[in-house]
Amino acid sequence: MQLNRAGLELGQYLSYLSVRQEVIAANIANADTPGYKTLDLEPPGDFLSSLVSAAAIVEAPGLASHNDGNNVSIDREARLLAENALRFNITAQVLRSQLRMLRSAIEEGRSA
Amino acid sequence: MSLFSAIGVSASGMEAQRKRAELITENLANAETTRTPDGGPYRRKDAVFTTAPAGESFAGILEASGSPVLGVRVSDVTIDDRDPEKRYLPGHPDADPEGYVAFPRIDPATEMVDLLGASRGYQANVAAISAVKDMISKSIDLFR
Amino acid sequence: MTYPVNSNTPTLPRLAAPSGPSSNEPGAFSGALAGAIGEVEQSQQAAQTAVQAFLRDGQGDVHSVALATQRAELTLELFQQVRNKIVSAYQEIMKTQI
Repeated sequence: MQLNRAGLELGQYLSYLSVRQEVIAANIANADTPGYKTLDLEPPGDFLSSLVSAAAIVEAPGLASHNDGNNVSIDREARLLAENALRFNITAQVLRSQLRMLRSAIEEGRSA
Repeated sequence: MSLFSAIGVSASGMEAQRKRAELITENLANAETTRTPDGGPYRRKDAVFTTAPAGESFAGILEASGSPVLGVRVSDVTIDDRDPEKRYLPGHPDADPEGYVAFPRIDPATEMVDLLGASRGYQANVAAISAVKDMISKSIDLFR
Repeated sequence: MTYPVNSNTPTLPRLAAPSGPSSNEPGAFSGALAGAIGEVEQSQQAAQTAVQAFLRDGQGDVHSVALATQRAELTLELFQQVRNKIVSAYQEIMKTQI
């Protein structure tokens, strides 16, 4: 019974997206902080590797700075906010289906 | 944990922008104030934003990710120390011996633009909280 | 008619003794059952830990706690189904023997 690893990769991806949402929230909160540099997570890469612990918080590349040193683009953050939340919701939905299918498979044995 | 921390971060953003807006409206209300309890004209106030840990979960964030994700706070209120604007109004009760009255260096147009910025920033933080609440709700659905 | 037993006569190859879980020994099956019970306990414990850590210390995400509790439920359900099957099969066997 390998049920104790059910939904492992999807669960890890959800954790990754949660941390990324927190980083985006920090960028938005500091959109007017002088000298603040936009942060992001490293791309997730290969799912099967240890996903969440490997993803470091890094400075987002390629952003222009204002006079006070702040480089937050509110358009970028607004876009990522929506995109990230959408990915999370879709992944959670897929995970739900997976668990439901497992439950069906187990319960189907009852009448057989 | 991350999602709840994110709410704390966005809440700190909301509070900072609100304080910033408060200062701006005070500036606008006192744009023509020539006499204050401390003597002299009103001096323009400005909010200083600094990154700061958002709430008690900072320790948790630090352990979890190694480098902290930070919220924001108004760490200081700077008071304009430039020389006030002098206008020649000899009959004015606050005129000096030469007939000049000291006025605050406040341009309402600049303050309005700043206020719009604070409002936009506030809205962005509200949107962030809304998105995170939705994600938490979807997480709770996993229990069913 | 007797045939002389001759040491040169080839004999049937000796069947290899069955080994592993398919063995007829009574201990092998109960071992598998014990293992399954252990897994159920393990998943229950993991769920308990996750819930406590979340409620008491705010540790962990909602989805991690949900996954842990779902896994515990599924493991338990599977175990119950298997156990029910075994019990009804045993009852069938006991009926036919009489």
